[in-house]
Amino acid sequence: MSSGEVEATAKAKPKRAIEVLRDRQGGMSKELKEYFNAQQKVRKALRGALQAGPKTVPQVAAETRIESSAVLWHLMAMRRYGEVTDGPEQDGYVLYRLKGA
Amino acid sequence: MPHHIRERFDALVIGGGIAGMQAALDLSEQGHEVLLVEKTPSIGGVMVGLNKVFPTLDCSSCICTPRMAESAHHPRIRLQTYTEVQRIERVGTAFRVHLLLKPRYLREDTCIGCDECELVCPVDVPHEFDYGLGARRAIYIPHGNAIPQKAVLDVEHCIFCGKCEKACPTDCLDFTQEAVEVQTMVGSVIVASGLEVTPMSAKAEYGGGRFRNVLNPLAMERIQSSNGPYGRVLRPADGRIPHSIAYVQCAGSRDRSIGVPYCSRVCCMYALKQALLLRHYIHGVDVTLYYMDIRAFGKGYEQFYRRAVADGVKVVKGKVARIAEEANFDLTLRVELLDEDGRVVERRHDLVVLSQGLIPAWHPAAALGIEEADDGFVTTPEMKLNPSYTTVPGIFVGGVAAGPKDIPDAIVEAGEAAMAAANYLKRVNWKAHGPAAVPA
Repeated sequence: MSSGEVEATAKAKPKRAIEVLRDRQGGMSKELKEYFNAQQKVRKALRGALQAGPKTVPQVAAETRIESSAVLWHLMAMRRYGEVTDGPEQDGYVLYRLKGA
Repeated sequence: MPHHIRERFDALVIGGGIAGMQAALDLSEQGHEVLLVEKTPSIGGVMVGLNKVFPTLDCSSCICTPRMAESAHHPRIRLQTYTEVQRIERVGTAFRVHLLLKPRYLREDTCIGCDECELVCPVDVPHEFDYGLGARRAIYIPHGNAIPQKAVLDVEHCIFCGKCEKACPTDCLDFTQEAVEVQTMVGSVIVASGLEVTPMSAKAEYGGGRFRNVLNPLAMERIQSSNGPYGRVLRPADGRIPHSIAYVQCAGSRDRSIGVPYCSRVCCMYALKQALLLRHYIHGVDVTLYYMDIRAFGKGYEQFYRRAVADGVKVVKGKVARIAEEANFDLTLRVELLDEDGRVVERRHDLVVLSQGLIPAWHPAAALGIEEADDGFVTTPEMKLNPSYTTVPGIFVGGVAAGPKDIPDAIVEAGEAAMAAANYLKRVNWKAHGPAAVPA
């Protein structure tokens, strides 16, 4: 082994375990990238819609032009992980609001 | 991840639902060492996800979780979750078991179930426990009552950001784990692999899987649960509180066209239970059951049926021919009214639950060498006098793996399977000789 090779080996940063897993899995699939990006986009739109105050699922769906069943699913995910809270009912629907908004 | 499994157990129980837990506990209480294998990350099976049980209306998870804890902590039960039985070979009177231990990507002995990894994970995924109606993260604890209360990484949805690793207070994550195959010897086997419901798409005319307000009955259990996906009863299509709910009975049973000619035995009662509870949960809600026959055969079941009707649940003897979705996600049911000379009417509801039938969750024939009947359930050749016997001596069956049944019957049958397994072990003198004396 030449001195240059020794130096290169010494400088190589050991891979983090998560990087080993990523390499073993062949990285993020195209489908997962698209799924994750779409999720981020929907969340941004939902946060924007609720910024002005509490809204029902159809109200959020109308404002964001996102299908109402998808709005409900994302709101429930945000509720589960503490970003959204549910409140009183309005015309047979539940009002949702951003925590702290 | 524990790669080491002992060389021998007295019995293998396949399935960590209520029947499997009962069989494992009964055997271990008789002094036998039991290996309890569950394919998912938690024991508890279908029962732990139910809202309440009929006819007592006890909280299902409240009466299931003590059994789960007992099974997990029993000194003579080795619990092996997230593990699949690949195959079993008969060796003399005993069995060599080949298991696949799936990686959780964390060390179970140091994970404290604190949820910190789940809270920082940025990927939300439809949660299997809530039949897709709620969300979990890519790394998650299966549910609040899960045993073991340990996280699991769904590597298919991992974006490899490493946030979970940074958040973990015990450094338990281990991304180097891989699936591991292990072997052990057992003296007897009990199959308690449980149930699924018929696929939503089985009856295309009902729109299951296409119309969001047409629900699976197990999804309705989760919706009704206080820890369910919505925290209250809502329509999945638009979050509206429903005011008119229909149950379509025999929507996956007694139907040769979908290969389920048998009665699933529990659908009438779970539908009546859900209907009665909906009357309590939503003020003024209209709940109608469209049925062919009400089969309330168990202890206290007829009284429960009468109670539900007295509480305002409507029962209509009629066969639903098809369901159509309206623009506002309401559903129109075309019904043949059997008590009115077959008159056909259209009835509008805003939510429909299909009372789907029970089918086996696993087909063990290839892996275990036992026979399955035409209906897919494990063949029980001596069903009258030895109902847990399969076609292979030393392999027994309990719970819904042998055929549709309710929880009390599943528990009784699992106990019988445990007794039969214990008798078998004694007959072959397993305790005295063990696998060393088993002729190859």
